[in-house]
Amino acid sequence: MSRFVIVALALGMSASTAVHAESVLVLNSEDASYSIVDRATRFEISRLPLGREPHHLAVTPDGKEVLLASTVTNDLVAIDTTNGMQRRVVRDIVDPYQLGFSPDGKWFVTAAYRLDHIDIYRADGFKLAGRIFMDGLPSHLSFDTESKAVFVTLQQSNRVVAFDLATQAIKWVAEVGKAPAGVVMLPDNKRLLVALTGEDAVVTLDPKDGAVVARLQTGRGAHQFFPRGDGRHWFLSNRIEGTVSMIDTQDMRVAGTIRVPGGPDCMDITADGKEMWITQRFLRRVAVVDLAQMKVVASVPVGKSPHGVFILKADAVAPGLPIRAASTEPVIK
Amino acid sequence: MGGLLEGWIGVQNWIFETLVSPILFHFGLMSWFEPAFDAVEFFMLGVVQIAVIALGMRLLERRWSPDHPADGRLVGVDRIYTALNKLGVIPLIVFIVAYPITTEIERQVRVLGVTPPRLEHLIPWLRDHALVTFLLYFALYDFAAYWVHRAQHRLSWWWALHSLHHSQRQVTVWTDDRNHIVDDLLVTLVLVVFAQFVGVQPDDYVLILTIGRLIESWSHANVDQGFGWVIVGPRFHRLHHALASDDERHIHDHNFAPVFPIWDILFGTAIYDRKVRPTGVADARIDADNGRGWLAQQVTVFARFLRALLPGGERSRFSRP
Repeated sequence: MSRFVIVALALGMSASTAVHAESVLVLNSEDASYSIVDRATRFEISRLPLGREPHHLAVTPDGKEVLLASTVTNDLVAIDTTNGMQRRVVRDIVDPYQLGFSPDGKWFVTAAYRLDHIDIYRADGFKLAGRIFMDGLPSHLSFDTESKAVFVTLQQSNRVVAFDLATQAIKWVAEVGKAPAGVVMLPDNKRLLVALTGEDAVVTLDPKDGAVVARLQTGRGAHQFFPRGDGRHWFLSNRIEGTVSMIDTQDMRVAGTIRVPGGPDCMDITADGKEMWITQRFLRRVAVVDLAQMKVVASVPVGKSPHGVFILKADAVAPGLPIRAASTEPVIK
Repeated sequence: MGGLLEGWIGVQNWIFETLVSPILFHFGLMSWFEPAFDAVEFFMLGVVQIAVIALGMRLLERRWSPDHPADGRLVGVDRIYTALNKLGVIPLIVFIVAYPITTEIERQVRVLGVTPPRLEHLIPWLRDHALVTFLLYFALYDFAAYWVHRAQHRLSWWWALHSLHHSQRQVTVWTDDRNHIVDDLLVTLVLVVFAQFVGVQPDDYVLILTIGRLIESWSHANVDQGFGWVIVGPRFHRLHHALASDDERHIHDHNFAPVFPIWDILFGTAIYDRKVRPTGVADARIDADNGRGWLAQQVTVFARFLRALLPGGERSRFSRP
């Protein structure tokens, strides 16, 4: 009975704030589902089935859809970025563990973590242009700002590989350190940051040849990046330490640290810039970080091993969204 | 319930952060930290299973046992098997060997463009009925395990390994894990590949294993108790462990099902009776396992397996129908 009351309250509260509300979409990688969390009430309002082992997501170049990648069923499920409704399914994208569009929107690239290949598609129609097999767990990717190259980390073989998008040819392969994961090209298009999960550090690569030109110690299990949005600061989740480092990329220093327990991983920031939501893989929760205070202010139960997270642009409590196995566990603030 | 889950996750997280991740880091194995986190949960589930067996099933077995208490020496080695399996030592070894093989199989199949179907895709109704879906996957898994078990008895080289499980004269709640490590490896390989192809979710797989193995532990209990045709109980399964005799030469080629006896009923291998039979294997070479410890059993049974692989290899008198 109490469960229904809580759900009803959550729905009622979110409906009353619908004009300003946003919802948060979380991929539960080991539950084959995704959760919709109401930002205002910080309550999981629905959990919907999604393929098998959904890990990451990417927004389409027009910004209208977010593609949820189901790695084992080889599908991309397109969700309306405004209301969370399913629009279509893109089939036959093999093992889309990590995915992304080039800045010009012409290329779509996936890293097949389990199957050890990188696929480069022409984004228009998802036509496969090239499949390159690379041993060593391709895990994360980033594009240069000119949409000429894509960089992929190979987590198990300690390397980063760069591809020319137009020819799909390998430009270079470089040894960078233990267990490279997150990778991001900075806006100057001259520095490529790579998080080394096995060395608790970030290294800066020269994107021309992959040479390591700088190093910054961060936190244990340095893993994934997300931009602060000011062009200067990037957040970095440290999976093992249970922290998020804010890196000042101008001075290349750790400008702040936020304690986020439970294997923090992927992040997104609300449109108003006030909150960062970050998945806590080990705790089956998603944490809410107040960016003014630089601390966790809430932690919402979702499904098992939550991975990708995305802030929808509006309230997702639309009629017809089924509520299934939504959590009624208390929110920790 | 929520509090219990929170506590469980908290303990898992603490073990991982305090004990496991420093080891991974020290040995440069950080790319394995996600499977390692799942392994911690596997270990915790093993502790729970051992507690259930030791504190629950064993007490019931003592109270309800129809004959004299089990010989501690004979049963002791089975306790070692249970501890090594439930606490993850044997599964870790099996994982290290099996993982590259199953991954390569999956890779080859998926590169060919074959996508494992899921029941929920075939029957959309199941999407909103999680319990029914779980039970269907459980039944499918058990169906595969039934046929694997039949193969263990049918193929002489596999029987050479599996006969270790049957050689125990005093079958108890501790006997289920008494298997040769190569036997564990072969069974795991077949069932993991099967699970991948029918679309069993990793989380469901762990739950199926946990519930299934507990049921199987109880089905070895030295008590005269059954669950009819619904679930395999001791009365049903101990017949499968019965000592062959001249009247019942192939008695252990019946009642193969691990959890759901429906498979034996459907395929004509079920026997329901209340006759109490001694357990073990009539072949003296196999019965000799009883005088050995864990390591000696592993070595001698492996030699038995190798001899069975050779052309004209040895056959056990009561090994096959």
